[in-house]
Amino acid sequence: MNMVEKILAKAANKKQVAPGDVIVANVDLMVMHDLSSNLVMKVIETEMENASIQDPSRIAFVFDHNFSPASQLAAETLAAVRKFAARHGIRHVFDGGTGSVHHCIIESGLWAPGNVIIGCDSHTPIYGALGVFATGVGNNSMAALGFAHSQAWFRVPETMQVVFHGETGPGVGPRDVAQHMVSRIGEDGAVYRAVEYAGPYMEALSIEDRLLFPLMSIDIGAKCGFINPDDKTAAFARSFSPGRAFDLPRNDPGTKYTEVLEIDVSLLEPQIACPPTVGNVKPVGEIARVPVNVAEIGGSTGGRLCDLRQIAAVFRNRQVHPGVRLQIVPASRGIYRAALAEGLIETLFAAGANIFPPSAGSNQAFNMGALAQDEVMISNQARNFPGRNGHPKARHYLGSALTVAASALHGRITDPRTLS
Amino acid sequence: MIFEGTCWKFGHNIPTDLITPTNVTLRGIDEMARHVLETANPDFPKNVRPGDILVAGRNFGCSSGRAIAAKALKATGISAIVAELFSRTFYRNGHEIGLPLLEVAGVHDLVETGDRVRVDIVGGAIENLTSGKSLRGAPPSEFLLEMVQAGGLIPLLKTGSRFFQGNP
Repeated sequence: MNMVEKILAKAANKKQVAPGDVIVANVDLMVMHDLSSNLVMKVIETEMENASIQDPSRIAFVFDHNFSPASQLAAETLAAVRKFAARHGIRHVFDGGTGSVHHCIIESGLWAPGNVIIGCDSHTPIYGALGVFATGVGNNSMAALGFAHSQAWFRVPETMQVVFHGETGPGVGPRDVAQHMVSRIGEDGAVYRAVEYAGPYMEALSIEDRLLFPLMSIDIGAKCGFINPDDKTAAFARSFSPGRAFDLPRNDPGTKYTEVLEIDVSLLEPQIACPPTVGNVKPVGEIARVPVNVAEIGGSTGGRLCDLRQIAAVFRNRQVHPGVRLQIVPASRGIYRAALAEGLIETLFAAGANIFPPSAGSNQAFNMGALAQDEVMISNQARNFPGRNGHPKARHYLGSALTVAASALHGRITDPRTLS
Repeated sequence: MIFEGTCWKFGHNIPTDLITPTNVTLRGIDEMARHVLETANPDFPKNVRPGDILVAGRNFGCSSGRAIAAKALKATGISAIVAELFSRTFYRNGHEIGLPLLEVAGVHDLVETGDRVRVDIVGGAIENLTSGKSLRGAPPSEFLLEMVQAGGLIPLLKTGSRFFQGNP
């Protein structure tokens, strides 16, 4: 069995599982942001006669989209979820300003390798970088099996492997590699599958950078993504979840795949996901010079400490282009504190950037980031679908933190390799 | 599960952002249904009738896994959705709320909006009654058929399923 099959077999109290099996597995952690916690609450209250919750300690809510409600409706929604949590003994409620949902959870130490984690958020597969089986489920799944029984049903997925070789050139990084992979596989190229990310390039990455690949598994349609855990995974788990015992489930020798894709990263240029979809990826040279109104570092794929370090390095003793609003959104309070201690926030503030609280940032434009017709944003957020950030005819481009920085400096989409 | 109705056709990679736009996601399902897919086709929420059948291309319901996208479509009264391929989250959500779904390769070219179509979920087939052409696809698995026939996951948990036996 591979890592995913081993975790699922153990969680379902079975010796063996195989692709295609339908199983019911015990779940270690259920993760929701403010939008989905509200929807699951409504299922419990309206479709399940206020059923009781089997183990509230396995549930966590993170208020990351409405981090400071901008409307009475949003305020009342959050207030209702807080009351629901209190009534049911759900203590892990991370209120507005704590961070982007999954980064907040990683920092919280509520997880360990070998866990099954479900979330009502399609980016839940992020924990696959940590030796965890993690996937998104719907509100009814979360309420009826998750909240009521601490369980979930799964069809055991087939697994494909993506093997990365080589080293990226200057100005090119893991975000470019991940976006290139999405364009190679296609937005529906891995639907229902588990995707294993492997090879010397992947092994050499930090955990912070590895997170991008399982996270972006949804952009190729996958059920989950994973990287076989190693010493780095164990050290990362011990640093955030020091009290939790765990083992590192790894593939058995001779693991079989439905498909193996080899990617050489050494000749890649910086990659930009262009509207209207995350799979519409082009080398930066093809769209350089598009004027930019808003630039943002933030969201589940942005706002990491490494992103803040990269953009701060670009803006040391430089100013944001006068036509650009640069928005900085740390992904968690721990990252914010580290960025303060390193002087990154001061550098970015002096350059003219606006600093926002740890949150989902402009994702879905609840508290920030709505665009007018024909406005252009470039960010290292996760999604660029029309209508997600204001007017359907606004355009949202996605790239690495370095590409966002170079574009904010010059007021137009810019190849970061031109930075001196 | 055989349905006959008027077809509404949509394209490839329709994200949940277009099905239930962000600005209605905090509102009730009826309000969402009044705006469902309006950016992709403003006529759809205004003129869709109970029993109509939605046909789409590849990767229908990608992007956010919001189950309200499937719920808002079900609230319009459509009887089924046929797509070349559904996103995994939409496929799961649809069955869990009792909305019949069928995957048929090539279906995007089989129909146009306004055609009369006949869909057999268990048999995995769709027929365009206007053109007389038909295609076969992949019916849902036995477990998902059981779930959708029960009306969704919550009713299925009440009646029970052999798939839940022997599990923890």
